[in-house]
Amino acid sequence: MPARVFKYDAATNQRLLLHATLLVCLLATINRAAAQGLLSSGEWKRNGLASERFTINGTGGRNNPLRKSLDTPYDDNELFIRFNFRYQKDSLDFPPETSGEFFVLWLDEDEGNDGSPHAANVPNLGVHVQGEQNRFMARYNSSNQKFGPPLEGDRDYLVVGRLWKSSPGKHEPFDQLSLWVDPQEPEEFKPDIAVQNPKSIATVRWIGFATGAKTEIEDQIDVWDFQLAESWRRILNLPAAPVDPNYGPAMRKPPQKKTVSFRDDVYPILKKNCFPCHSGDKAEEGIKLDEHDEVLQHVSPLNHSGSQIYQVVAKGSMPPEEPHLTVSEVEILATWIDEGLDWDSSLLPTPIPVTDHWAFQPIVRPKVPSADADGIRNPIDAFIALKQQQAGLMPNPPADQETLLRRLSLNLHGLPPDPDTKRDTMDSSRWLSSPEYGQHFARKWLDVARWAESNGHQHNRDRKHAWRYRDWVIDAFADGMAFDQFIHQQIAGDELTPPTPAQLTATGFLAAARYSGNELDKQIQRNDILVDITNTTASAFLGLTFECAQCHSHKFDPISIRDYYRFQAFFVSGQPQNLLLDANDTTTRIAQERWRLFDGVQQRLTYVRRKQGHPEPILVTPSNVIAQMRSEERKQFNQLNEQLAQLDQTWGFYSPSTSATRLTVTPHEMRWQLPHSEAVLNRLRGAILIRGEIRDRGPEVDAGWPLVFGPTPGNAQTRKDLAYWLTAPENPLAARVWVNRIWQWHFGRGLVETSNDFGTQGTPPSHPELLDYLASELMEHDWNTQHVQRLILDSSTYRLSSDHSAHNAHIDPENRLYWRWTPRRLGAEAIRDSILAVSGQLDRQRGGPGEPHESNRRSIYLKQKRDKLPDQQVLFDSANGIISCSRRRVSTTSLQPLWLMNSDFMQQAARKFATQAGNVETAIKIAFHRDPTDTERKILGELARDQGLSSACLAILNSSEFLYIP
Amino acid sequence: MTTPFRIMSRRHFATSTGLGAGAIALRSLLAEENPSQSPLTTHHPPTAKSVIFLFMSGGPSHVDTFDPKPDLTRLAGQDVPESIAKNVPRIKRAGLRNLLGSPWEFNQHGMSGLAISNLLPAISTHADDLCVIRSMTHRNPVHGPGECVALTGTSIGDRPSLGAWSVYGLGNRTKELPSFIAMNLHTDGMQFPQAAGWNAGFLPPRYQGTLVSPSKGILHAELPEHVSTTQREQELSVIQAMNRKFYSDTQLSELDARIRSYETAFKMQTSAPELFEINQETAKTRDLYGCESKQTGEVGRACLLARRMVQRGVRYIQIRVGGWDAHGNLKGNHEKMASRTDVPIAGLLSDLKRTGLLDDTLVVWGGEFGRTPTMEGRSGGRDHSPSAYTAWLAGGGVSGGQTIGTTDPIGYTVTQRPVKPLDLHATILHALGINPKQLVFDHHGLKETPLGVTGGDVVHEAFQPA
Repeated sequence: MPARVFKYDAATNQRLLLHATLLVCLLATINRAAAQGLLSSGEWKRNGLASERFTINGTGGRNNPLRKSLDTPYDDNELFIRFNFRYQKDSLDFPPETSGEFFVLWLDEDEGNDGSPHAANVPNLGVHVQGEQNRFMARYNSSNQKFGPPLEGDRDYLVVGRLWKSSPGKHEPFDQLSLWVDPQEPEEFKPDIAVQNPKSIATVRWIGFATGAKTEIEDQIDVWDFQLAESWRRILNLPAAPVDPNYGPAMRKPPQKKTVSFRDDVYPILKKNCFPCHSGDKAEEGIKLDEHDEVLQHVSPLNHSGSQIYQVVAKGSMPPEEPHLTVSEVEILATWIDEGLDWDSSLLPTPIPVTDHWAFQPIVRPKVPSADADGIRNPIDAFIALKQQQAGLMPNPPADQETLLRRLSLNLHGLPPDPDTKRDTMDSSRWLSSPEYGQHFARKWLDVARWAESNGHQHNRDRKHAWRYRDWVIDAFADGMAFDQFIHQQIAGDELTPPTPAQLTATGFLAAARYSGNELDKQIQRNDILVDITNTTASAFLGLTFECAQCHSHKFDPISIRDYYRFQAFFVSGQPQNLLLDANDTTTRIAQERWRLFDGVQQRLTYVRRKQGHPEPILVTPSNVIAQMRSEERKQFNQLNEQLAQLDQTWGFYSPSTSATRLTVTPHEMRWQLPHSEAVLNRLRGAILIRGEIRDRGPEVDAGWPLVFGPTPGNAQTRKDLAYWLTAPENPLAARVWVNRIWQWHFGRGLVETSNDFGTQGTPPSHPELLDYLASELMEHDWNTQHVQRLILDSSTYRLSSDHSAHNAHIDPENRLYWRWTPRRLGAEAIRDSILAVSGQLDRQRGGPGEPHESNRRSIYLKQKRDKLPDQQVLFDSANGIISCSRRRVSTTSLQPLWLMNSDFMQQAARKFATQAGNVETAIKIAFHRDPTDTERKILGELARDQGLSSACLAILNSSEFLYIP
Repeated sequence: MTTPFRIMSRRHFATSTGLGAGAIALRSLLAEENPSQSPLTTHHPPTAKSVIFLFMSGGPSHVDTFDPKPDLTRLAGQDVPESIAKNVPRIKRAGLRNLLGSPWEFNQHGMSGLAISNLLPAISTHADDLCVIRSMTHRNPVHGPGECVALTGTSIGDRPSLGAWSVYGLGNRTKELPSFIAMNLHTDGMQFPQAAGWNAGFLPPRYQGTLVSPSKGILHAELPEHVSTTQREQELSVIQAMNRKFYSDTQLSELDARIRSYETAFKMQTSAPELFEINQETAKTRDLYGCESKQTGEVGRACLLARRMVQRGVRYIQIRVGGWDAHGNLKGNHEKMASRTDVPIAGLLSDLKRTGLLDDTLVVWGGEFGRTPTMEGRSGGRDHSPSAYTAWLAGGGVSGGQTIGTTDPIGYTVTQRPVKPLDLHATILHALGINPKQLVFDHHGLKETPLGVTGGDVVHEAFQPA
């Protein structure tokens, strides 16, 4: 219909002043140039046809009534524009009878003048005619224009535009233009109109509104609230996207505000209807609804309809007899579940478990039995002798000196004694104070610590700095570090004041957890690491198998699911990282700059792909990031990496909120790593995961040790608190577990055979008093590990011969009462090291990054990549570096002789050994530290004569005597 | 090493080293394998003596091979219908946009009319032997953990593999070769967790699969070039003499096991290289497997070796073929993988049938998961999808020409008869005569079975005529 006559009140128009307060918002992102207003602060340049609220009238021709320049020309990659807009209904006319309507906002490099078209490759957003309707439109020119919904008169619209560059760069064109009409928050990637034109402008200097030939002078258009911004959320004035790192994108969160109270609303219902049967020790079917942990087993968090408790009361199957719950009572329970199952533990506290299991009882120093037998050298022998006498066993005589020397050397150093080692070197202290001892015993702890030098899982990238922890363990043994220090540093090295480089390195124990580089679900990725750390820490220091309690309260041990997640909460705010040692401002800046550069490019690429319409999640791999860096970025990136490579770093564990000082995190190679920002880590909270399901996040919990050990003080929330609790004199487990390991490392089997499981499913100690005696000795001697070792090494029990005795074997075939020394095969590393040693090939250089497997250095220095352990390690039962290994199995397979006889390594070793020895007699002395027997002289002599000395040497290296601790 | 060794008898050892026959008799009571831990008689009569597991790693697409979905072609380009989308588990990678039709046609094959896509024409000729389970399902969409789920039942990688449980339950059929042999082909990028697929977990390490290379054989099985048979015999007799002396002083059974391990190793030096002499087979047989062609050679050789292993008493053979991970170009990837595997696998089935071995050899085909019916990004490929995928069984008492279970019209979720990996394990063990619930290992006091805490049930339909 034709435009009605409109009275143009020029006088009024003149009165109106523009108060153009254009809100300009910016992302707070770093290093953006135009940090302040995008538009100049001055007033709009306008001619007489723009008025209050920017009421605009047409002229029947091209006109630019309202325009403004930007403070700084804008050439970054993306610009959002918004304005509110109202077209007077009377102004609308429609083709074909009349011309229709035209009104646009343009963004251009040039101001032009009142009549400039700002068309032809200039982005325009507005309304225009399509067919018989006036529609919203985005266009660059008439062949690059698209239309959206029809325009209605007398209606307030919010119009949002996005102008962006598909190829980022200052000089690249703004080739993409999108328009939304009345957009909602989630519609960021669902514009009403999207149009492209590669010939667009590259810089926006001016914006303005234009009317055209179709806009009559009577037409009245109002625009107001004009803004520019660099992000969707900003342009819609939305708060920054909420990110709670405790929840994944698809996970429900409990509401902040609760509408039911446990004490006032829920408790009375439970008490009246449920507790008569389901409470206390004699609860029906063991279902105790007066215990929060038990309740958690019967619900699906935040989902009442999936919760068993709700289902049975809603159906009326519980309570089994009338009266059933009223509708409103059922609703209260449903709301309670959906609001996160609040509990009032002052009303219904979690009962402290009671157990009479031996391992949870305090350590009491036992009386040493009165010695009434020959050959008692120290209290160990007295405890051992008592049981032997009770069983009617007659212990073997001591082993001969040569055997004992070999036993000490192989057991403590993992190497045969040098041929010229004298018999007078039986002093145990001498064996404990050498680097070889550290190198050999460290490996035993590394098994427990499931340590390796790669991430594990599918991608299994190397951990270039993980070797420092291996060297730390070697030093800790060689230097005789007190065991309480050994615990404190490994669990809380970063929390000690101030952490030394060695203490930071010690956290490599926690950081040795596997870390999946191909895991996109951050909740799963983090949880897998936390589960690994929780289980390993518990079994390594407490000798408890926590893993069952991850899903349900432990069936055998007094460890509840709550205990599990409280223990885990000690670790929840930290994660494995590369940490800079001896950081200073300069080196920290290098690391930060490297992160900033990488993260910035990654964010840029993610954003570009999102705008290009890639479906979520948008995944930009590190190799994509590096490949798509601009040349100056890549140059800087390479420089920073080179600088970083020169700096001392370690693969450690760091939680910014509890560490004694702020540490500098350096990058590590990985495809999808966890967020490294402090803000994310600081927001993480421990919570019970119902049935261990990551998506069923239940109530949050504070950190704490298992309740069976007594309450955790409310302020004991750091790993340091945990470490000091472990070494408190009241702790019944840490000292027992440690002395048991030491015993196992000397005798091949612990007093408690299951050395990682002191729970009810583990084996009971064969000599409980001896175990407590050694634990007491350890604690009373300032946790001096070597003191306990000297007791063991100096005992008669350690020095017995290994001879078979029919009498004793009949009574105690497994030698559980130590009537003899049980020979055992050397570990994989000691086998290789001994062969290198006797053949004169061993390279004794110490420390440093993991060595290639062809190296002749001690096996502990060979690179421990999780899928690619050295051949002989796999063949001879080494730990796999995945789960804590407390005791290696000894397998005997036919693949072992094939390696020992046929491999290049062995063939070469035999040749070198022959060169080294020169004759059979010497070869025997080097290998066995004794003279040959007549038979050996004969058969080895014949072999040497017939096939060469290296053939005889190969036979010696294959002998059980060479490969066993005698 | 092609010259067979003269196998030394125990008596030969005894006499050659001056030890009396009595000592030998005593030791022979201490077997290398500890029979008390193994039910060496089966729980029920087995229908299979050996298993060949053809593990297609990377995730072959079920909707492009054995699970026809005409609706997928019809709905191509659209989003997953709401009615199905609501059932798709909320796991990463489960894209719900842009359905991708299969580039391959499905046809019915054999008397049974089993539908197989024309991606696998050679396997299709065995349609009547295949029992296709279309309703395999689990929840782990990542390769490493997913493969652990498929082969050990859980994602951690610390439990024994199905093969390890099988040989733990059954013991040896041969003393001259390992009972569980694994071969890994096309392993680009393969990393550690997959090794769980042939590991022993908490079972004694002797039950783990022995990894062999189809071209190189068993590691270190061949004599070094300069070592003659005579030299080795003499070396061995000296080693054994010294080891017997050491054993006689201590009477430790472990030391006796060492002596036996040298005897077995000695036999393996002969039998292992012989096993790998595939030129003993006729050219016609080698052609059947595609041994001589560049594309099929690697898988063909492994499949032929698998048949030779079955003949020599190996219990469990696992052939892992990597490379099915079709994120990008689905068509190109799967055509390449089909060209590597179709002829060799069909050849294996034909050859087992021809030799009568198929009657008591169970052949299993499957991967760690299937692939999404939707396109991944804009790549023309499909993402990982564990919520529904296909595995098939043939031989070993299984009824061929049937399908078990169904999926929704686009193959995203299981609609009938879900089969978890542990159900498949239970089924395979059942064929071997083992009741998996009664196969127990005492692990630190915990009575472990192959079914773990989550359990599994035999898919009995597999053994009933369709």
